[in-house]
Amino acid sequence: MALLDVTDLEIAVAAGGKLLPVVRGVSFAIEENETLGIVGESGCGKSLTSLAIMGLLEGSQVRITGGSIQFDGRELTTLSAEDRRAIMGDQMAMIFQEPMTSLNPVYRIGDQIVETLRQHRDMTKGQARDRAIELLDLVRIPEPTRRVDSFPHQMSGGQRQRVMIAMALACDPKLLIADEPTTALDVTVQKEVLDLMADLQTRTGTAIVLISHDLGVIAETCDKVAVMYRGKIAEAATTRELFSNMSHPYTRGLLNSIPVVDHDVEWLEAIPGRVPTIDEVLPGCAFHPRCPLAEDRCNAEDPAPRDVANGHAVRCHFAGGAA
Amino acid sequence: MKYLRTFLAMFKGRKLATIGLIWFCIVAVAAIAAPLLAPFDPLEIDPVARLSEPGTPYLFGTDHFGRDSFSRAIYGARMAVIIGLGSVIVALVTGGLIGMISAYFTRLGHVLMRGVDVLMAFPALLLALVLMTLLERSVTNTIIVIGIVYATTTARILFGMTLKLKGEVFVDAAICSGAGHGSILFRHILPNLISPLLVQASFIFAFAQLQAAALDFLGLGLPPEVPSWGNMLSEERIYVTRAPWLLIFPGALIILSVFSMNLVGDAMRDSIDPRFKDDIAGV
Repeated sequence: MALLDVTDLEIAVAAGGKLLPVVRGVSFAIEENETLGIVGESGCGKSLTSLAIMGLLEGSQVRITGGSIQFDGRELTTLSAEDRRAIMGDQMAMIFQEPMTSLNPVYRIGDQIVETLRQHRDMTKGQARDRAIELLDLVRIPEPTRRVDSFPHQMSGGQRQRVMIAMALACDPKLLIADEPTTALDVTVQKEVLDLMADLQTRTGTAIVLISHDLGVIAETCDKVAVMYRGKIAEAATTRELFSNMSHPYTRGLLNSIPVVDHDVEWLEAIPGRVPTIDEVLPGCAFHPRCPLAEDRCNAEDPAPRDVANGHAVRCHFAGGAA
Repeated sequence: MKYLRTFLAMFKGRKLATIGLIWFCIVAVAAIAAPLLAPFDPLEIDPVARLSEPGTPYLFGTDHFGRDSFSRAIYGARMAVIIGLGSVIVALVTGGLIGMISAYFTRLGHVLMRGVDVLMAFPALLLALVLMTLLERSVTNTIIVIGIVYATTTARILFGMTLKLKGEVFVDAAICSGAGHGSILFRHILPNLISPLLVQASFIFAFAQLQAAALDFLGLGLPPEVPSWGNMLSEERIYVTRAPWLLIFPGALIILSVFSMNLVGDAMRDSIDPRFKDDIAGV
């Protein structure tokens, strides 16, 4: 049994008395020590999926309408608030996109780590503080004994994101969800943070779900990749397989729209059009209005996922040879 | 010490606000040391010297019972501070709790905030009058009533701010680290509300003085035997032509105190509110 097993997850937004589906039947699994990358444009449902796993949709306009999320053998969608609190921060943790706002501005960073620790571990304040310093050292914050008493506004973005990682890793979680952890950081800091996460993974065996819109980041850090488009997984495979055998036109489009530094090109290739809004109803393949391969059939029939290689599933009529 | 310095830094370059703060300190000292500073017992009657003019030994003159107005004014400062602090505590605790809980638990909030709206529909003084007529005249009841009146505005303000803070990523991060509702509200959200609460406190303190004086004057506030500025005005108002100093001194004290507390509040708000200044003092 996988550590995290998401099956047919469906999420909908309540708007004007109607439920508009935004995530439709997403399934993936992740084992210990593995990194799964989820890629896609803005609005494809990747962040909602991660919020659903962490139970952060509660009380909002967005709700889970179907499917299951199994974590370590427990069903998260029906878990009581109290049981969930016991897992959160202890066995699963999350890192957010904006390091500038994800730390409480009125608390010293050390106290925020201490609080997480004391929530889940039977520790005295002194022990928790020592552990916090240890964690800050682990995430390579210089002078951790001094920085433990810093306020968030006294730190840079990269440092804050590292503090967030330290906080997330405080209780050695089995699963870490990182929602665009490097998007708000500049490139050199991005690399450091990603290296740090990879390094910590080899030490602790934590499974990581890395959400990103950057194929480069995914290629560098993930074992498996799921490409999401409009609430569905368009293509899923191991990273090696995916990058050597891209089968969905959307995945190819994503890769083509990355600028290549050492080539001189007039125009950067982009995927034409935009992601359809959530209230547009498309009977066929959600990607067909933007797809270079689209035929009549794509408008009529939604392609079922098909295997083009072992563990490489693609939702496209043209995948793996003619339909 | 650090906080005191931050607080004092708010008054830098603000002459009026500094004067206000100094006046507030004088009132506070008078309130604390009233028994030491007052030359006479505020309740001691000297029928021979009734309605005497300001001078020696009666600095502010005597009222129609022959009580020393100066001593009563000093004890009045004590009452002013008690009423002010009490109302601030009642208003911030009840209003703050209602506002925060309403914003956090949205469904319950709809009900609670409509109740607040109803109370806010009444003018502050009218609401206080209605509540006071239902209750016995006493220091505690005056504090409770004024506290309730200003709890409504506090609830409104904290409702909005909590709603905004609730959407901050650090709240999500706190949920992700396994924090419960209580911990999120009081450990993560409340500390972010300290600055607006302090500003609110200074304004409530000022308005509570005014409100208490008005209630006293109308005979619905503190019991008549309690020496307060409002009671002094109320009792001596018929002697306004014969002994105007009996009204001028307490009246001036009320005005000065309300005005200076407002100045202090303005200074605090200006230095905390980023719209008035870029760099947020302190935290």
